[in-house]
Amino acid sequence: MKFKLPWLAAAAAGAFAAIAFPAAAEETKPIKIGVNTAIQLQVGRDAIDAVKMAVDEINANGGVLGRKFETLVADEGEAASEGPKVGIAAVNKLTGEDHVDVLIGGYDSGVTLGELPHIARAKKIFLGIGSASPTIQQKVKDDYDHYKYIFRVNPINSAKQANGLIDFIVGKLKGELEYSKISIIGENAKWVQDIVPALKKGATEAGMEVPIAEFFDVQTADFSPIFTKVKDSGSQYLLIIISHAASDVFVKQWYDAKVPVPIGGIDVKAQDANFFKRVDGKAISEVSTNFVLRAPLTEKTVGWWDNFVKLYGRAPVYTAGGSYDAVYIYADAIKRAGSAETDAVIKALETTDYVGVRGRVQFDALHEVKDGAGFVNELFVQWQQDGNRVVIWPREVANGKMINPPWITQN
Amino acid sequence: MTEAIRHIDWIVALAALGVLAAGPSLFGTSYVIGVLTVALCFGMWAASWDFMSGLTGRENFGHSLFIGAGAYTAGFLNVKFGLSPYWSLIAGPLVAVLFGIAMGFPTLRLKGPYFALAMLSAAAVMQSLTIIFSEYTGGQDGLNGLDPMLDSTLAYYYLTLFFLALTAVILKLLANSSWGTLLRAVRGDEASCEAAGINVTFYKIVSLMISAAFAGLGGVLYAHYQLQVGPDLFAVVLSINIIIMVYVGGMGSIYGPIGGAILLNVLTEAFRGFSEYRLWVYTLVLMFIVYFMPQGLIAPLWRKIRAIVP
Amino acid sequence: MIQILIYGAVISAIYAMLAVGFTLIFGVARILNLAHGSFYALGAYAVYALTAEAKLPLWLAAILAVLLVALFGILIERVLVRPLRRRSMLAVLLITLAVALMVEQVLLLIFGSEARNVPSFVSTAYHFLGVDVSGQRLLALAAGILVLGGLWVFMQHTKLGAAILAISQDAEAAQYVGIPADRMYSIVMGLSAGIAAAAGVLVAPFQTVIPGMGLLPLVKAFAIVVVGGLGSIPGSILGALLLGYTETFIAFKISIEWSQIVSVAAVLIALILRPTGFFGKRVAF
Repeated sequence: MKFKLPWLAAAAAGAFAAIAFPAAAEETKPIKIGVNTAIQLQVGRDAIDAVKMAVDEINANGGVLGRKFETLVADEGEAASEGPKVGIAAVNKLTGEDHVDVLIGGYDSGVTLGELPHIARAKKIFLGIGSASPTIQQKVKDDYDHYKYIFRVNPINSAKQANGLIDFIVGKLKGELEYSKISIIGENAKWVQDIVPALKKGATEAGMEVPIAEFFDVQTADFSPIFTKVKDSGSQYLLIIISHAASDVFVKQWYDAKVPVPIGGIDVKAQDANFFKRVDGKAISEVSTNFVLRAPLTEKTVGWWDNFVKLYGRAPVYTAGGSYDAVYIYADAIKRAGSAETDAVIKALETTDYVGVRGRVQFDALHEVKDGAGFVNELFVQWQQDGNRVVIWPREVANGKMINPPWITQN
Repeated sequence: MTEAIRHIDWIVALAALGVLAAGPSLFGTSYVIGVLTVALCFGMWAASWDFMSGLTGRENFGHSLFIGAGAYTAGFLNVKFGLSPYWSLIAGPLVAVLFGIAMGFPTLRLKGPYFALAMLSAAAVMQSLTIIFSEYTGGQDGLNGLDPMLDSTLAYYYLTLFFLALTAVILKLLANSSWGTLLRAVRGDEASCEAAGINVTFYKIVSLMISAAFAGLGGVLYAHYQLQVGPDLFAVVLSINIIIMVYVGGMGSIYGPIGGAILLNVLTEAFRGFSEYRLWVYTLVLMFIVYFMPQGLIAPLWRKIRAIVP
Repeated sequence: MIQILIYGAVISAIYAMLAVGFTLIFGVARILNLAHGSFYALGAYAVYALTAEAKLPLWLAAILAVLLVALFGILIERVLVRPLRRRSMLAVLLITLAVALMVEQVLLLIFGSEARNVPSFVSTAYHFLGVDVSGQRLLALAAGILVLGGLWVFMQHTKLGAAILAISQDAEAAQYVGIPADRMYSIVMGLSAGIAAAAGVLVAPFQTVIPGMGLLPLVKAFAIVVVGGLGSIPGSILGALLLGYTETFIAFKISIEWSQIVSVAAVLIALILRPTGFFGKRVAF
């Protein structure tokens, strides 16, 4: 008896360890985040850096449910020359070989749309942080069981951005500035082609005249024909929608020719903190929508912005705010679900109520980030003297007056 | 020059087929299967290009015209009209052939780089049109939500492999027949052929149609793998990439370009480890091959090996 | 109407500079140089790097940029093209393509994907016959005309120019007379590269400076040259005017979106109607 007890105890301990240890190992296995983005572009680099920043912070605080995060990156390639195939391979690699637990990324809508069926087939959660096409989230409604994994954290989708623009047109341009004639031009990306008719309708229904509503090729290098036509039409404002095309050149040509029509709208490149300097200050008075700014959108924003600059030596672009929030939102969902198991996390994600660096994040029935007062906002920001950025719309968050281009003296 | 097909060729071809078939089922993750399926489609595009341009020497810089035609046909039939994907296997090549006829008649009489440029322009025009008429074509984002033909990606890979093998066999047999001899003669001296009473234009147009058909077929298969079609399938860059694959494989051999396509597709993925230097390294490798191997890599290699075998 | 006249002239001048270089190297050495767009891009990036990083004055940076790219062109010809020329034209084509891809990747790796800013040489906006046009554009037009004029003088009135013409007409005969063909090819490549770089330098202040900026100009140069006649300089100039004005006209009168496709379609039609272009194979002015 006396001999057997220690042996029994040892055997029991061994058995216990044999059972508990793998389970414990399972529970301390890192949670893998796969980042699929265009690594050669600024938006891609900032997304990766923002994810790493969030991951490092969370890991420093002990991780989530005792598990640490690990980041893996896969290049989506250059959409223009390689199409979606590199992105699809990236997604397949991350899910099929690296066995990530979640995907955070996306930039070009065409590539993301191409990746979706493959992500859905792999049954992995995707937190979109760069693509704006509404078609992406529409799939959640059309086929929930198959596409319930797809969420969009950033940016606000282009259809909603369009509503924000109509609000700007009617409220600011017509309401406050009393313009009666505006023109609209946009690059011929699909989402722009979808929203321009809606914008035109919104403006005309408010009693404004829209003499020109045109598209131009993304590769356009010479905008003089457009400026001339817009000027000749007597338009008082030129609403622009530019995402991939050459904003730098557009703005420089506008300034150099001293076009007597102010410009503003969606201009993704104009969101860059160094845009003003990049174009030698020629962006003065341009208005562009922004999703993240060094301004107290929430109590976390300014601190995060400054940290990012300190860590990486450059100001973040819109994908950075989204990626940073996405990591925390995912962590938060795991905590509330009590596990990292996909279906449980999806249920938790759907009930997200998280205050990030861009605003308060909740998801609607299409897994889209909610926009509007109190949530994540589309801010209309104007470049003013010396590169100062002033929020001039919506009224509730505006912190300055809108100015005219220096060569136009009066409204 | 036309080498007769020997038993050794058939054996090695079957062995290669075997490797391509067995590989994915043993090591296949969705990633590997995906990359290889794409590579096989490129193989069909390269082989079909080689049949026309490799033999006649009339380089076609707009092969993507046929690819996009096949792919968009698949997209329209499946997404807009809700037809089963299998119809596209017939319709896609057919539409591509129609494009071949439409472009072949006016351009095949052009000499030298003019045919090349005409085809390039045609493809570029189609690309612009798909973007401008975005209401019907989905513009830059293209048509998405195509149904997969088969539920299992592995099974689809085998289907694609089957079609590639079919393409290779048909084109190689044609290339080695009197048809092929005639096309090679056109490369040498078109005027003499005409003088000998051969209707050269007829042969050139039919060859372009055959080339288009197989390219279109590849386009359909690619569309139902990617489940999305976009204007990038009409792009000049695609045509040029295919020409590079043919060159690396060895022009005029039909099987070489297939090898070149598979090799280069695998390389672009294999170089992921170089992160942002991926394309730079890839281009370096290309330069190396173009500079040091004027006849390409694969076909000359095979010819050397098989010369040793009795 | 005046706007179309002036803007069309600026665009045509730039196109002409690109097309002339392209046709020169083809007419003389039978090389379809797919790296031609890279010379254009390198010109723009060189002037950017020299002003923004090396802080040189603009005029000096411009001249240096053109010279450096011309040298680069000569280097490419000597090291990569010459050995392959004996083998096949396709090999040459592909190596120039590889150079183009390489240049784009290197520019991307060094300068990043974001557009670079090159300051204008002339900042004032001019009001010319009722049209607002920036001084930089007028400068581009004037410089373009000067360069083309200079090329004409060079080809017609110098020994080197005559030698180049001789080579383009009959390489063998020219060699019998003692003209070193190989060295001529290098010189022509350098000349071609320099002119393309000059175009890049002139437009850099008002066009997008990104690593991929050379592709579209290459396609356009290719199209113009074919329409004008491969190997013919006057043909290229005429073709450039045709394309430049068609694009500008369509952009103003219809929409910018259609101006691109029209130019490509015009090439297609021109090829079908008149395959050898306006002036066929003459290089001479």
